[in-house]
Amino acid sequence: MKRPIGTRTEVNTNSDIAISVVNLHKSFKLPTEQAFGLKQAIFNRLRGIKGYKEQKVLKGLTFNIKKGEFIGIVGRNGSGKSTLLKILAGIYYPEKGEITINGTLVPFIELGVGFNPELTGRENVYMNGALLGFSNDEMDKMYDDIWDFAELKDFQDQKLKNYSSGMQVRLAFSIAIRAKGDILLLDEVLAVGDAAFQQKCTDYFAQLKNEDQTVILVTHSMDNVRRFCDRAILIDDGRIIIDGDPSTVADAYTKLWQ
Amino acid sequence: MSIPLVLNRKNRILLAELTKTDFKLRYQGSILGYLWALLRPLMMFAILYIVFAKLLKIGSDIPHYPVYLLCGTTMWSFFTECTSQGIQAIVNRGDLLRKISFPKYIVVVSATLTAVINMLINLVVVIIFALINGVTPTWSWLIAIPAILQLYLLSLGIAFLLGSINVKYRDITSIWEVFIQALFYAVPIIYPLSMVASTSQLAAKILLINPLSQAIQDIRFGIITHETITTWNYLDNIFFSFIPVCITLTILVIGAITFRKKSKFFAEEV
Repeated sequence: MKRPIGTRTEVNTNSDIAISVVNLHKSFKLPTEQAFGLKQAIFNRLRGIKGYKEQKVLKGLTFNIKKGEFIGIVGRNGSGKSTLLKILAGIYYPEKGEITINGTLVPFIELGVGFNPELTGRENVYMNGALLGFSNDEMDKMYDDIWDFAELKDFQDQKLKNYSSGMQVRLAFSIAIRAKGDILLLDEVLAVGDAAFQQKCTDYFAQLKNEDQTVILVTHSMDNVRRFCDRAILIDDGRIIIDGDPSTVADAYTKLWQ
Repeated sequence: MSIPLVLNRKNRILLAELTKTDFKLRYQGSILGYLWALLRPLMMFAILYIVFAKLLKIGSDIPHYPVYLLCGTTMWSFFTECTSQGIQAIVNRGDLLRKISFPKYIVVVSATLTAVINMLINLVVVIIFALINGVTPTWSWLIAIPAILQLYLLSLGIAFLLGSINVKYRDITSIWEVFIQALFYAVPIIYPLSMVASTSQLAAKILLINPLSQAIQDIRFGIITHETITTWNYLDNIFFSFIPVCITLTILVIGAITFRKKSKFFAEEV
């Protein structure tokens, strides 16, 4: 296996750059046939077949994000947005290129990570909180607020499997917004829920913007890009097409189909 | 490169919460709940005791044989639970790995800690049975502590090593299940080592070199009876007693290095 040569470093300096990405490449090995399992692996080795094909997802991205910027990342499905976010979050390793993260980074790749349907709402709140780095004591303090905000107080001792999906998202969102970090990564987490929930999300964005929080938002909603972002980046086929003014990017995004 | 085995505050919180969740989920939906942590090994012991001690009349020459047997099965269950849960931990927690970034070893350690809790509960039962059976507590009970620790490190090493291969080749889970069945008979649990020794001393010595046998025999020597055969009172050269310990440490180190090297790719491969 080829060793990764990219680097991702976390620093904490006074520089006004929050994230710097230089020439980032990433590819995945997609199995061409049923290559899972020892038997296939040995057969493939014997026949000299690689058993996978290399799919280039990111082909050299370079950009900087300043502290306090609200950045929108847009692009079609499969353009590499989520992969980029996962590399920034440290979930995938960078194959080539240098990433520098300045400050603590809190990623929301999905709402309700670690939610278990067999556990009660209460137990899930503590579990999810632990994943965000909150201790039991800290969770005790914000416990009531979480349930009040989610408007689910009567359900806290029910098992999560008895919640509707909308209720689960509300609960997860209510925990997620407690997380504090220098940089927030939001990956389409807010594309669900009813009108009332959407309103809460919009309020949350507005609040983040007021607080000059550094945010990277991956989204398909051009309304949100126009409304909240200071800058937007359009990615297509693993490359940056435009990096600049939100409304220019939003227009270009819509034109991708025409 | 920094050493990833540092348990900082965030990792400690996560480890504690994952362990708690694992333990809760294990007995979720059963009427007796946590009692099963006690009942399962006791029932396994009852079967083995009836078949081997009563029907086949094995072990009549060993003092406190029932407790001796119970101690062995408890430690064996600990080893099997630790390894099989540990090996599957990364695959079972795939959803977490794909969505948040944290040191991956936490998942393996939390899965094995559940086994540690179970073992400690059962150890209390072993001690109660030992006292009922007329074993007098002595300072030599303390020998069990390093021996249990060694058993845990061995299991952890295996879990790290095989667990990291299991991410890509799920066959490991099935292979380990079969292997562990065979291994059961190569460790003196249901039969006393003295029985083997009376036929072939060499065979007994070879069995004893296995770190599993060595650790279990040490625990029995410490808690139950000094008539237990151990590496240091049976092997010709005292230096031979270090072999099982060296095997344990080698497996742990190789396991940790392999796991560390492969853990970068877990999120993509799982």
